[in-house]
Amino acid sequence: MSSGLTLRIDLDSGVPAYRQIVDGLRILLVSGKLAPGSELPSVRRIAVDLGVHFNTVAEAYRTLAGEGWLELLHGRGATVIERDAPAANPEKVTEFRHRLRALVAEMQSQGASAAKLSVELRNAANELDV
Amino acid sequence: MKLEILFIVLPLALVAIIFQFVPLLTRRGIFFSATVDPEFPQSADGRRLLRSYRLQAALWTVLTFALAALSATTRPAFGASLPVLLLVAGIGFSYWLKFREVHERYGLRRPEVREASLSPAEETASIRPWLVIPPFVAIAAAAFYLNAHWSQIPHQFPVHWGVNGQPNRWASRDFAGVYGPLLTATIMDLLCLGFAWALLRMSRKSMMRYVTVRMLEVLLYPLTLTFVVVSLLPLMRIPLWLAAVVLFAFIAGIFFWSYRKITAPSGLDEVPEPQNDSYWKAGVFYYNPHDPAIFVSKRVGIGYTVNFANKMSWVVLVGILLIALLPALLMRK
Repeated sequence: MSSGLTLRIDLDSGVPAYRQIVDGLRILLVSGKLAPGSELPSVRRIAVDLGVHFNTVAEAYRTLAGEGWLELLHGRGATVIERDAPAANPEKVTEFRHRLRALVAEMQSQGASAAKLSVELRNAANELDV
Repeated sequence: MKLEILFIVLPLALVAIIFQFVPLLTRRGIFFSATVDPEFPQSADGRRLLRSYRLQAALWTVLTFALAALSATTRPAFGASLPVLLLVAGIGFSYWLKFREVHERYGLRRPEVREASLSPAEETASIRPWLVIPPFVAIAAAAFYLNAHWSQIPHQFPVHWGVNGQPNRWASRDFAGVYGPLLTATIMDLLCLGFAWALLRMSRKSMMRYVTVRMLEVLLYPLTLTFVVVSLLPLMRIPLWLAAVVLFAFIAGIFFWSYRKITAPSGLDEVPEPQNDSYWKAGVFYYNPHDPAIFVSKRVGIGYTVNFANKMSWVVLVGILLIALLPALLMRK
């Protein structure tokens, strides 16, 4: 089910490896590329391939399990499980708005137009909406 | 005496020749273990550095040959080991100087972008039983044969010969003497398999890993052949030169295949593991406390080295050493 999919991180990036792993996996989960029933490799395998500490990957798996995406398999990897989308939490929406505004400001300061950013945002939302 | 000198000169010459070509046995984008532009080795500076290294290596070779000639007349017991050690240390020092120069003046820093496959099937890239079982069958068959012909085995038989072709070590017809070589073969074969198994679990997927695992699988054959022939010598007249030729052809074949595979477009051209040069001490020792991988592909030559910053690497190294010494310890009377 997960064949051919890869997780990519940049160790030079300012974003912590844990955050990159969670974000990368969540994109695959939300887009449906990692469907329920898919098995993920063990923490050890992912950690060796990415060159990060085992605890970094384990923590990322636990975070996604806490969000209801994964069931952790002791000593193995994790399985993607069926998940009912929760109702959008107002606090989360507010936090999203703040982060989005900061991102938009950053891109506009680099010359991206509001129209261009709006198209990008719509495309991203459509791509992940399954 | 002349033969003894040959046994000192040959290993030295072999090591010296290998070191002349070592800088070329690497992936694209790596030069003297430092990360560079793929075109740099062909540039004027690249060629100058290679010439300078080769000249230094040649000087070390001349110096070591002189020392070897001196020790052959004054301390013949040292044989080739001490001169070879000196040669490796000397050329290693020259290599380190070149690594430092290339890294500091021409080095590039690649982004450390890493990728992990999310397919669990990737973990099961395994050792092929049909390829690795026959050597163990051969060992068992030799053991059965020796057991069935026990009474025909002489009470004392030679197990080691000097450079003059005369036996200089003998074994008795007892468990250690008769089955010792087969036990050694079993342990060595298991060591190769253990290393292949560990590589598949404690290193990143790459062409180098594929080649190394296949090399280890096939290495069981010359290893087994050597010890099975030695174990059968008390009962059979096997021409040792024939066994040596078969052995040499087998090992040469393995290395030729590996070299072809590594230098194929998907081999050496494969993007090297995106490790910062600063993790490579002297260009050959990998030390990265943030990397959980125990084995990483070498920057020069074929095969793997360990991550010296990982405690498990030391456990593995000591374990390999103990297992390699096991046959000698078990056979001690």
